[in-house]
Amino acid sequence: MNTATEEQRTHKAAKRLIRALWVFNWFNSCGFTELLPVVASRFDMERFGMIVVGSPRHADVLFVAGYQTFKSAKYLRRIYEQMPDPKFVVALGSCPFSGGMYWDSYNTIKHLDEYIPVDLYIPGCPPRPEAIFHAVGLVMEMIEGKRKGGRSGD
Amino acid sequence: MVTEISKLLEPFAPREEGNAVWVREPLEEAPRIWQELRELGYDYLAAISGVDWPNRGVIELVYHLWSLQEKSFVHLKVEVPRDQPRLPSACHIWGGSAAVNEREVHEMFGVEFQDNPDLSPLFLEDWEGPPPFRKDFDWRAYVREKYYCEDREEDRGYYKG
Amino acid sequence: MAITRAETYVIPFGPAHPGSGNFRVWLTVDGERVIEARADPGFLHRGFEKLMEYRTLLQASVLTDRIAVFEPLNWNLVFALAAEKLQGIEVPERAKYIRVLLAELTRIQSHLLWFGAAGIAMGFDTVFKVALTYREEILRVFEEATGGRVYPTGYIRPGGVRWDLPEGFLERAEGVLRHIEYHLSDLNDLFFENPSFVARTKGLAVLSPEEGIRLGASGPALRASGVPYDVRADDPYLVYDRLEFQVITRREGDALARFLVGRDEVLESVKIGIQAIRDMPEGEHAVKVGPFAKVKEGEAYVHIEAARGDAGCYIVGTGGRTPYRVKFRGPSFTLLIPVLEHLLQGVEIADVPVVYWSLNHCPADMDR
Repeated sequence: MNTATEEQRTHKAAKRLIRALWVFNWFNSCGFTELLPVVASRFDMERFGMIVVGSPRHADVLFVAGYQTFKSAKYLRRIYEQMPDPKFVVALGSCPFSGGMYWDSYNTIKHLDEYIPVDLYIPGCPPRPEAIFHAVGLVMEMIEGKRKGGRSGD
Repeated sequence: MVTEISKLLEPFAPREEGNAVWVREPLEEAPRIWQELRELGYDYLAAISGVDWPNRGVIELVYHLWSLQEKSFVHLKVEVPRDQPRLPSACHIWGGSAAVNEREVHEMFGVEFQDNPDLSPLFLEDWEGPPPFRKDFDWRAYVREKYYCEDREEDRGYYKG
Repeated sequence: MAITRAETYVIPFGPAHPGSGNFRVWLTVDGERVIEARADPGFLHRGFEKLMEYRTLLQASVLTDRIAVFEPLNWNLVFALAAEKLQGIEVPERAKYIRVLLAELTRIQSHLLWFGAAGIAMGFDTVFKVALTYREEILRVFEEATGGRVYPTGYIRPGGVRWDLPEGFLERAEGVLRHIEYHLSDLNDLFFENPSFVARTKGLAVLSPEEGIRLGASGPALRASGVPYDVRADDPYLVYDRLEFQVITRREGDALARFLVGRDEVLESVKIGIQAIRDMPEGEHAVKVGPFAKVKEGEAYVHIEAARGDAGCYIVGTGGRTPYRVKFRGPSFTLLIPVLEHLLQGVEIADVPVVYWSLNHCPADMDR
């Protein structure tokens, strides 16, 4: 469960995160195809110190790239709980916000913030790599305390 | 159409279209025809599709068979009654590809294949409703009840129609 | 207390593993060796076939982009061909050549992504960066023609294509194709002829031709076992009967052969793309299909050669505005469940990602 308060998250120790935000390897569903170019060399995310890690205990940011089905939402919740504070959840695309293109599907969840607290939503289907970098910039502003995170369902 | 296949399928009034043959056969004849078609070279089962016809009271299964030598299709249709959907499995003829297709049709339509060793759920976990691809499953009401909430302002539109 | 011999236990090779996709396999292991594997799909199941029953034909063509996320134009194409066969629509010549060009470009970028993702799962990070850089060139071409980098918003739709190609597009596309053809040899030193890659993949997970046919494999995985099954040659659609190309096969059937078939297919696709550019006629780009056109009564089944194998679409209409039933046959459905369970027997745990990525697959078109 998330027990960090707003002050803890913007604590000086958290400010060191700006140098390197590590991303967890939860590359799920449609937004995956625009997250791979972000990792590759044209839109290189490693120049900002961001790498893809395999263990949730090492990660700071969780990118939820698109729709989640009823089955994968359970594992998403478990991974979210295993990530240590401070952590940020960024939801990519229109599917986590309102169901998106699969608004009448019997197997996808429509509002991601009923399952895990979300800090930031990025519109697009899928969002371009430039939009993802804009979101990373906003996350860094949240760390510095210049912007309030939109944590709902906390 | 090659002569052996036309002799085999002639009693069932097949329809030819380009390099494909569409034919409907009765349920009792199905295993025999499958075996003979396999011996005539139709050894690649591309897919098994299910179609639900509630007005006729049947679930229709279409077996799409491709022959690598003849380079042509035979689409075989078998009908099973909706209230008792049961028919023999084709696993001993076409192997793994038949087994996994039958598992999917079982999950989505509720059709039972006798002698298929493994009919456990494939895609859906903890599914409580009826088989989802049947026409009497009111999926819009199901989605509305399960995933949308009338108190949320952005969901109001979904409740209108 | 004496330590007795360990029993077998079950581990998941799961969705959050760095070497897997969105798919889980339960491995029963004895020490380091896999005895049995059981596939656990369904992480991406959206019920596409049910969604299609509530959309008109033109709305459905936008939805088909996302069935297999790495090759959207090929799935647009298979749905458009099935709908046209059902409705009895004949597409103009220019549209056919445009479709062939875009389908081959999609095949090339899908194979490059396959090499990149396999490289990163096996520890060759440089291959990932190099392959995706060349894929970006193709995405730039797609964005110019269709408006979307990865999802072309249903560009290939029943009736033709959505709009005509812009000025000077054909020269730029030919430039990109020649560029990739020249630079594919960069990947040879890094990947295909790299001694450590060859040592990891040679002789691993051999698929015999009879087993491949029985288990329903298709595409590069089956052609690497010696079966020359390619829908473009056996059952030509669009204008493939007028174009010259070869069907690439190998006889060994191991993981190395599958990758090499993929590499040689990229070169063949470049050749087909250049022929399509050279022979493209002038003319109309589409036949008008109304947005609420009635779906005729009848049925049709069409299959094409997607990058991953034999992709099919079965459509049934009963005269309403939306189709009565649409069924998609994804090549990864049989590649990921029966074939993978068969090939993983007797393999070491460290080789599981290699076997998994050597079958060119995409979990999204398995789950649909």
